[in-house]
Amino acid sequence: MASVTVDPDGITVQARDGECILSALNRSGYGYRTGCRRGGCALCKADLVSGEVSYPVVVADSVLPAEEQAGGACLTCRAVPHGDVVIRLRDDRLRCTSSFLAALAGRVTPAVERNI
Amino acid sequence: MSVMRLGYVHARVTDLADAKQHYGETLGLRAVHEEPGKVYFKGWDEYDHHSVVVEEGGVGLVKLGYKVSELTDLELYEKRAQQFGCITERMSAGDNLEVGDGVRVVLPSSHVVELYHEMTTVGTDVGSHNPEVFPRHLVGVGVPRVDHALLTTSDVATTERFFKDVLDFYPTERVATTLDDDAHVIGTWLTAGNTVHDIAFIEGPDNKLHHFAFELGDWNEIGRAGAIFSMDDVSVDVGPTQHGITRGRTIYFFDPSGNRNEVFAGGYVAFPDRPCVTWTVDQIGKGIFYVSRELNERFTSVLT
Repeated sequence: MASVTVDPDGITVQARDGECILSALNRSGYGYRTGCRRGGCALCKADLVSGEVSYPVVVADSVLPAEEQAGGACLTCRAVPHGDVVIRLRDDRLRCTSSFLAALAGRVTPAVERNI
Repeated sequence: MSVMRLGYVHARVTDLADAKQHYGETLGLRAVHEEPGKVYFKGWDEYDHHSVVVEEGGVGLVKLGYKVSELTDLELYEKRAQQFGCITERMSAGDNLEVGDGVRVVLPSSHVVELYHEMTTVGTDVGSHNPEVFPRHLVGVGVPRVDHALLTTSDVATTERFFKDVLDFYPTERVATTLDDDAHVIGTWLTAGNTVHDIAFIEGPDNKLHHFAFELGDWNEIGRAGAIFSMDDVSVDVGPTQHGITRGRTIYFFDPSGNRNEVFAGGYVAFPDRPCVTWTVDQIGKGIFYVSRELNERFTSVLT
């Protein structure tokens, strides 16, 4: 298990071993603006503030160029955390999309955090 | 003389094994040829050698192939494309596996289209002598054939004019800012024959793929495809729903590399003398997704 913290709101969820960041967020009842969820469109692109991720599934260089990756960009739909990570969304905020899943994941979500 | 149909889609994928699983096992295309870095597929009701080529390395579209009815069409279309101002290039038989001589054209939208007259015939999976109505052992969705592609272009009007003036396509439907003649056209759906569209363009960046589509028969087949997508954990974009534009029933979904695909059923029969339908931009939500009447953000932003 690794913790995934999403800025700017500092919401933390747990990722299972081998689970990508976006799946961990969705399974924990959270979501934000995403596209194909398969690494092709770059809509989910965020900045890795701290920690390490890897890409078990190949991502096209045109979608996530090596220099962008070196600069901290990551595709949450394909990036798997290695240890705890902090990411920052670009022009978007994390939303609680399912209170049921959030409760199941052990997070009680105050209304002020929902950003709906 | 005319363009007959979209003959092949050549797309890039990030992982060939995943692509083979998706196009082969989920959609049910048959892999007809494999070579390092590429797999060639055909649908069960297609009789030419292949209709989909996936190539490992990147995402998006490499090119589309459109088959013409006469060999002499190639020269005519080549000349017209050059007169239009497009870069063209001759292709020789064998440049593309099992494809004859042809002309490669770079569209005003920067996409590459190849016109060809011959591809090795391998026959449909039910044959052409007293055939059964479908093959008994289809895999997955079991799509019969490739249907159309939707691409993005920074200049819809010029791209539409290319298809009309050079390739004798005609638009069946358009999205425009107003109903006036001088309205800005932001989308066009074009056909070369009687299907409701063989290609379509919406305004966006040049040289990008929105989706390519496979034909299905009706609502029931669309619903069954949706069930298969759930079984195989396919990333679904939208649907099942219906388009106002073309009246097609649809599911948009993504291949494992993020290229958008569609299963499409039931567009109306087109004729050149049928008045072109115009949708105004304020009704584009209804035009694209007739049931919800809401255009999701992904429709215009998720491209490969």
